[in-house]
Amino acid sequence: MIARSTLKLAATMALAISLLSLLAMALQYRLVESRLTDATKAALSADLAGYSALYQQRRIIALRQAITDRANTGSELLLLQDRNHIRLAGAEADWPAEIQPQGTNFSSTQAQRFTHQGTEWLGVARTLPGGFPLLVARSLAPVESTLASLRKGMAALSLVLIAAGALIGTLAAKSVMTRITRLNNVADQVASGDLTARLPGPRSLDEFGLLETHVHAMLDRIENLNRATHRLSDTIAHELRTPLNRMMQKLALIEGQPTLAADLKAEMRNAIRVFDSLLDISRAEADQGSGGGLLPVDLSAVAAEVWDLYEPLAEDKGLLCTLQTTPDLHILGDRNLIAQMLANLIDNAIKYCSAGDTLTLTLCQTPEHHRLTLSDTGPGLPPDLRDAAFERFTRAPRDQVRGIKGHGLGLALVRAIAARHGAKLTLPEVENGLTVEMLWPKLMG
Amino acid sequence: MPAQTDSILIIEDDPETAAAIACEVRALGCTATIVPTLPEGIALSAQDFRVIVLDRMLPGGDGVEAIAKMRSHGARAMILVLSALGRAANRVEGLEKGADDYLPKPFEPEELRARLRALLRRATMQGQDNDLLVFGALEIRMKARTVHINRAHVAVSPKEFELITYFAQNAGQIVTRMQLLENVWHLHFDPGTNVVDVHVGRLRRKLEETGSQAIQTARGEGYIFAPLPPP
Repeated sequence: MIARSTLKLAATMALAISLLSLLAMALQYRLVESRLTDATKAALSADLAGYSALYQQRRIIALRQAITDRANTGSELLLLQDRNHIRLAGAEADWPAEIQPQGTNFSSTQAQRFTHQGTEWLGVARTLPGGFPLLVARSLAPVESTLASLRKGMAALSLVLIAAGALIGTLAAKSVMTRITRLNNVADQVASGDLTARLPGPRSLDEFGLLETHVHAMLDRIENLNRATHRLSDTIAHELRTPLNRMMQKLALIEGQPTLAADLKAEMRNAIRVFDSLLDISRAEADQGSGGGLLPVDLSAVAAEVWDLYEPLAEDKGLLCTLQTTPDLHILGDRNLIAQMLANLIDNAIKYCSAGDTLTLTLCQTPEHHRLTLSDTGPGLPPDLRDAAFERFTRAPRDQVRGIKGHGLGLALVRAIAARHGAKLTLPEVENGLTVEMLWPKLMG
Repeated sequence: MPAQTDSILIIEDDPETAAAIACEVRALGCTATIVPTLPEGIALSAQDFRVIVLDRMLPGGDGVEAIAKMRSHGARAMILVLSALGRAANRVEGLEKGADDYLPKPFEPEELRARLRALLRRATMQGQDNDLLVFGALEIRMKARTVHINRAHVAVSPKEFELITYFAQNAGQIVTRMQLLENVWHLHFDPGTNVVDVHVGRLRRKLEETGSQAIQTARGEGYIFAPLPPP
C-alpha cells in the first residue's frame, strides 16, 4: 500500500511544476516564432528594396535581369510576367493560384502568408505599371523546422519533468508509508490488547521522530493507567476481603445461633457478589474492543452446559423449557465470562417467570453472525424501563414490591460481557414476555 | 483418614487468617507450618508437605506467579490458592497457572476443610485407575458410565453420572456446593441461586428410589456421600 495523500501531494506538485515549465516554454516559443518571422519579413523588405532600386533605374529590363541572375536556392520564390501573363523571369512556370497581385509599389507592408507546393511562404504580389505581375516571396520553411524541433524538445522535456515528478512522488510516498506503517503496526498491537508494544530502533531527528516520541509517551501513560486500575481493583479486593475474612472466621466461633450466623454469611456473600459484579463490569468494559485474552470457544457447548445447569431449576418452577442449538458454532471469547453471562440471563428469566411460562434458548447461524436468543413468556420489562434495563442498579419498582431480590447488576454485566466480545445485544419488540437477542461475531477459519 | 504425620505449609501474611487456617489444618489431624513471605515459602516448598496453602498478595510477590518456581524447586505438594483475589477471572487464572484448587477469601471454615480433605485424598488417589467403584450395594462403572444398586440399573443423565463420580471420589467426606460447581460444571463464579441443589436433589431421589441413601445433606456445609455397607 502507498501513502495516498503523499502521492497525491507529490503528483499535484509535479503537475504544477510541469505546467509552469510548459507556460515558460510556450512564451519562449512565441518569442522565437515572432523573431524568426520578423527576420524573414526584414529579408523580404531588403529584397523588395533592392528590386525597387533596380526598377527605378531601368524598369522591367533590369528587374528581369536581376531575377534571372538570382540563383534558385529554394528559399526564394520569384516570378515576373508580362501583361499576357507570360513568364519573363523566375523559376515558376505559372502564377501560383494561392496569391493574387495587389497594388503597384514595392512596399513590404502588406506581405501575405501563403502555401505553395507544400511550403509556407511570406511574400508580396504586385502588378507593376504596364501590367507586369511580380511575385517576390521568402520561404518560411527554415522558421517552421526550427519551431518544429523546438516543439519536439519541449515535449521531451515535459515528459521528463512529469516522469521525474512521478518518481519523486512515489519515493516520497513510500518513505512516508514505511514510517506510518511502523506507527500503525504499534497501534494495531496496542488495540489488540498488548499495551507494552513499542517501536523498535532509534527515533529519527524529524517530525516523524517527534511523533513516535509522542506516541510512546501516550502509550506509557495508558499502560501506567491500566496497570494502576488493575492494581486498584486488586487492592480494593484485598482490603475488603481480608477484614471480611476475619469476620467470617469469628462468625464460626459463635455458637447457639445458627440461623443468625447463616443470615450473616449470606449477607456477606451477597455483598461480595455485588462487589465482584461491579469489578467484573468495569474490567469487561475496560477490555472492550481488545481481542486480548480471548480464545476460540464453542458457543454451542457453553450454551448447552449452562442450560443443562439451569434447566432442572426452571422445570422445578413449572416452566416449559426448550433448547434449540446448532452444534459447533465457534467464537473468540472467554468461556467463563460467557457462562457467567448466560447464567445471569437464564437465572433472571427463571426468577421473573411463573409456572406455565415458556423459556426458550435458541442458538443459530445467520450469514454474518451467530444468533443467540433467550425468550420467555414472563411479565417482560415495564415499558419505561426498556432503555435503562442494561444500566447498573436499574430495578423495576414492581420487583421491590413483589419482593424479588436483586441488585440490578445482572443485566449490566450481561451488556458489559457482550460488548467485551463485540456481540450486539438487543431487546426485540415481542408480544409478551422478554426476548434478549445477541449477535456474536463468527470465528473465521 | 490422613496419617498423623501429614504436614501442610501455609504461606499467608495475615496472622489472623494464618491462625484460622492452621486451626482447620490441625482439626484434620495434620501439622501446620506457617511462613509470612513468599521467598520463605518457596524455600520451604520442596520439603515433604502434602498440601501448600498459598496466598496471592504476599510480601515478595504474587503467590500464583510463584507456583512454577516452587514446582521447579521440587515441590510435589498439592497447591491450594487461598486469596482475596476471588473473582472468577482470578480463579481461572490461578488454576491455569498450576494451582490444584482455588478458594476465595472470605472462606467458611467448612469449605476450607472440605477443600483440604479433597486435596489430601487426591494426593493419595493419584495414579489409581479403577474402572469399577464399589460402595457396598452401589456400583459405578467408569467406562460404561453406568450406576447399579443391588444389580439394578439406575438411569442417570451424563451430568448426574459426573456428579456421582465426583461424590464417589470424595466418599465419606463433605463436599460443598462450590466444589461441585467448580469440579462437575467447571464454572468458577457464584451463581447466587442454589442451582446445584436441584441437580443433587434429582440424583438423590433416583438413588433413593432404587434403595440407596448414599447422598446425605451436611447441614449448612454441603453434601456427604456415605453409602451404607450391604446388609
